[in-house]
Amino acid sequence: MKQQNVDTKTNLPDTGEADECLFEYLHAEMVNYVLSSKTNGKEGEEELSPLEWMGFGVGYRIMERLTREWARFKDELDTIKFICMDLWSSLYRKQIDNLRTNHQGVYVLHDNAFRLLTNIGAPDSTQYLREAPRLLAFTCGLLRGSLANLGIVSTVTAEIATLPSCKFHVQVQRV
Amino acid sequence: MTVHNLYIFSRNCTLLYYAEWNRLNKSGMTKEEEAKLMYGMLFSIKSFINKISPLDPKDGFLHYKTSKYTLNYLETPSGLKFVLNTDNSAQNVRGLLQQLYSQIYVEYVIKNPLCQLNEPIQSELFKNKLDELVKSSPYF
Repeated sequence: MKQQNVDTKTNLPDTGEADECLFEYLHAEMVNYVLSSKTNGKEGEEELSPLEWMGFGVGYRIMERLTREWARFKDELDTIKFICMDLWSSLYRKQIDNLRTNHQGVYVLHDNAFRLLTNIGAPDSTQYLREAPRLLAFTCGLLRGSLANLGIVSTVTAEIATLPSCKFHVQVQRV
Repeated sequence: MTVHNLYIFSRNCTLLYYAEWNRLNKSGMTKEEEAKLMYGMLFSIKSFINKISPLDPKDGFLHYKTSKYTLNYLETPSGLKFVLNTDNSAQNVRGLLQQLYSQIYVEYVIKNPLCQLNEPIQSELFKNKLDELVKSSPYF
């Protein structure tokens, strides 16, 4: 479906309500399925690595598609900027709101209203704050996969402070 | 103009949500009992109307009116029931009910993967948005 979004982006600017929610519902079911199929030993810690792997595969493939008309990227920061702008807007219909880096391989991508979280919680309530991280595992993998396809090995973690907003920490591994 | 209260029922008679804004007269029973009574009445009215109607009842039951208040009813094809009590001067509340269904219920309950379907709605965001919509409506 994401692939399709990318393909039809030009002729369907902002319509396509149906395919948008299709991804949201599918994502929700994936999360449920992964959670239910794993028997967790430790209480309170959810096994989300299958989700992350799915995201990795999707991200890897999507990058192939998105970058076909692009020249090589200058450096790492350029690549991350591409992710923040193009990848994000083709998948989540908006760009990353804030990008920070320490210029040593750590990038923090800040999204003020992450699409998979917008229908869940208001900024002033702490409801669902504990369950929300499971909705980010797929996207973490997605980031990692797309970076991997561009030659950057990294680890990606996510963090939520208040609900519709979240931060993705990208830690690039130097060899 | 006032909006008194709102019930949302699922297809199988669970009270999904109840909200109250301006209700002066309490029924004197628990919310659960009241909801059962309400659902029962709606169920009877619906079948009454379907049987007694001399023509094809297209939309079925839409609203009833007493000397003091109007009960507005919207049932979706999936069987969700929205019941909104307003005063008699409110016209065409159906639009509001539709809006409530498509913009609030679908957005913040159906699209929230952490909300259990067919169970009472817990989401605070839903609650806030609903309150906002009703208070901004011209009937309030």
